[in-house]
Amino acid sequence: MKNREFDNIFDESLERLLVKGESLEQCLERYPNQAAELKPLLETALVAREASTIQPRPDFRARARYQFRSALKETAVGKGHTSWGWFPRWATVMAIVLVLVLGGGGTVAAADSSMPDSPLYSVKLATEQVRMTLTSSQIGKARLCAELADRRVTEIAYMAGEGNTGQVEIITQRLDRHLALLTVAVLAQRGDEAPMLMAPPGEAAAPSETPTTDKAPPEAALAPQPGKAGGGSDDSTQNVNQAQLRDTLVSDAARNRAVLNTVLDKVPESTKAALRRALAVSEDGYEEALEALK
Amino acid sequence: MQDEESLVRRAQKQDQEAFAQIYEEYFDRIYRYITLKIGDAVEAEDLTQQVFLNTLRSISSFKWRGKPFSAWLYRIAHNQVVDYLRKKKRTPAPLEETLVSGSDNPQRAAERKLDIEQVLAAARHLTGAQREVISLRFTSDLSIAQVAGVMGKSQGAVKALQHSGIVALRKALSVTKNEE
Repeated sequence: MKNREFDNIFDESLERLLVKGESLEQCLERYPNQAAELKPLLETALVAREASTIQPRPDFRARARYQFRSALKETAVGKGHTSWGWFPRWATVMAIVLVLVLGGGGTVAAADSSMPDSPLYSVKLATEQVRMTLTSSQIGKARLCAELADRRVTEIAYMAGEGNTGQVEIITQRLDRHLALLTVAVLAQRGDEAPMLMAPPGEAAAPSETPTTDKAPPEAALAPQPGKAGGGSDDSTQNVNQAQLRDTLVSDAARNRAVLNTVLDKVPESTKAALRRALAVSEDGYEEALEALK
Repeated sequence: MQDEESLVRRAQKQDQEAFAQIYEEYFDRIYRYITLKIGDAVEAEDLTQQVFLNTLRSISSFKWRGKPFSAWLYRIAHNQVVDYLRKKKRTPAPLEETLVSGSDNPQRAAERKLDIEQVLAAARHLTGAQREVISLRFTSDLSIAQVAGVMGKSQGAVKALQHSGIVALRKALSVTKNEE
């Protein structure tokens, strides 16, 4: 019985330390009677947590993605959109209506600058999701992914400053997905390979509805669509679009690296590992995208 | 993953986009899970890729029986690891330089790499069940309930394994450090 009680206390302390971002000292203060026994275990857990920063090598990730895509093509019987083709449009329209009716444009505007600890943050994510759904061109999707990645880095810096390790990790996963989708959109726009994660330009009528980058509920209002710009069919337009995107990404990568490194020196020790992971994800993600633009 | 059920159902109907989303969602986590389980980052690459190819082949047989899709996916990864360990006995390769990249500070990156190498080495001293719990909790960020679902154990049993696993890990880490 005593063991079970301690197992529960240990698990709760782990949640506070690793997910909620509390410091070791804060966790120990909650259980003064068990502090002596908890301390070495929580310290070990922090070391074990470093394993969550393990990442696949970029070249392996790219190779694996390519192999998987090939296998996927061979396996697929059809495009698979037929029976679900109605769903994205329906869901999108419902999401827009819901937000306009329930929240109104003001809510969406306010949500746009909200941080993850704000009640409006889910509206922000939903808005982004709808923007992605409504962006049909690959260059537009790439630009939007870049913009969203930029937002995520700002949020990571903010939450790291608050010492909220759990949120830093969650947002880092979103950042990773934005940057992965950015690379795929770049490849698809170049026409080097068939797009895997997004509907091909010719199938823009059936855009992705399911959240590709975030876990937000499908509710949002219309927002400006940077993706509508560009996506021209002639080579010169495409080259200009790619050059602009490249400049944006080079600038974003440098700025975000500087932001995260600056924060890294200021955050509590318990948040540093998560922030380093965010830095690694940011570095690798931009590198992959820029490589795809070469 | 929100709407995971609809996403998986679409993947079962050969929707490439849905399958690709599942792949992106789980790829890194499955890779980390396998790396910690076998202690070899390079071998983990092939195994991770095999997990997703197996998933692609067998997803049509997946049925919703009250357990999340992730439980099924980690089961495939677990079986892949078991199969690998049964067939192969080799010395784990060292961590690749790029594996823990991402810091502008070389000293910090080196420290982190050392920490991870020590954790991988220490994890080999854990029992299979302890290693499973530590892998799922610390590399894949699964909750106790999710780990219980993957392993087919009660939450209490998983918490007990988590506790004993960290104790064993601490002991193994202190031995590793004393040997240096």
